[in-house]
Amino acid sequence: MAHEEVKGCVILKDLHYSVQDNTWVKADGDIVTIGMTDIAQSLAGPILHAKTKGVGTSRKKGRPIATVESGKWVGPVKSPVAGEIVEVNEGLASDAQLINRSPYKDGWVVKMKADNLAVDLSELTTGDAAVAAYKEKIEQDGIECSHIDDTDTYD
Amino acid sequence: MMALDLSQNKHADVSYDEKERLFDEVKADDRWQHVLYGCYECGICVAACPSARFYDFSPRVIAQAVAREDVDLIYTLMSDSIWDCSQCFSCDRCPRQNSPGQIITIMREVAVKNGLQTAKEALEGYGRIIYKIMSTGSQVSPDMLQPDAFPDWGTHVYEIAENLEEWRKALPPETLHTTETGWKVDQKTIIELYLIWHMTGVMDLIEGVDEGLFMILVDVMEERLEEAGYDDITFD
Repeated sequence: MAHEEVKGCVILKDLHYSVQDNTWVKADGDIVTIGMTDIAQSLAGPILHAKTKGVGTSRKKGRPIATVESGKWVGPVKSPVAGEIVEVNEGLASDAQLINRSPYKDGWVVKMKADNLAVDLSELTTGDAAVAAYKEKIEQDGIECSHIDDTDTYD
Repeated sequence: MMALDLSQNKHADVSYDEKERLFDEVKADDRWQHVLYGCYECGICVAACPSARFYDFSPRVIAQAVAREDVDLIYTLMSDSIWDCSQCFSCDRCPRQNSPGQIITIMREVAVKNGLQTAKEALEGYGRIIYKIMSTGSQVSPDMLQPDAFPDWGTHVYEIAENLEEWRKALPPETLHTTETGWKVDQKTIIELYLIWHMTGVMDLIEGVDEGLFMILVDVMEERLEEAGYDDITFD
């Protein structure tokens, strides 16, 4: 999978990102998978709890779809699209560090049926533009990504 | 000769009127009349202050700045020094009955209410603690003992974090067999707390300082309040 690494932070080029909220979206028809970025997991540190909202919950864009707690931080995962949660990652309840080890794969957070996918996707950033946006953010905020053991590799 | 400017002109970008407005808000507090009477400059408060030993911090500077109504300096202190105070009130031994600690309490509240950037930064590290207290009613939870949060504990904290459930189960009272909260919190207690946060406007303060924290608290609270039959209560 095409990716780029900036200060240890992995950015996959085929995903759509909300750079500000550090979330990613992968669309499959009108169902989207949503997760936290490598930068988000790194800033949070080893995650202790990731509590998702239930299936059937409708969310506006920017509203929380999960609450994530680490040793030093707590915050929302904000929905990058508007829609209804159709599936949650059950694995996170017993092993929240899936998000740390595999932010773009096994550590996905929820799947949603998007209300207005084309519009929402057009407001997100992807490809080289996403890499450029993250480069700027990483530089500006002095971010350097760190990873726990058994983290996914991208070759 | 130029007048001595202890504020170091650090916040020249903020207008004098705005700084004065914030100080007026401090002075309008009901407690204000009971925390400041005058200063002998005896230094007893500084001698008693634990923060003064470790930081570039002086309770006497606080008392004198507000007594002189030095608006620029007060703003500089509100943006930095007041967050060094540990709020232990050791300074309450002042022979003039001043309380620099309580002056700081009021200044902090004004800083938070007005969403000052420095208040946001100072409170950032406490987000998880505020989340715990406000969502569960129990403050410090055992699962906060994590290596990345307590590096100064050395290797001991790894052992605690890894075997937390066993450690907790070793405690005799069953109400302490918890890791996510300090103890088992009664549903009735939680609902009463949420109602207090709602009635007192505490959530408005949180929203001004940390929008993300506000969002997740509201989510938890509204859901549990609804379950308890309070479906007409919203925080937004």
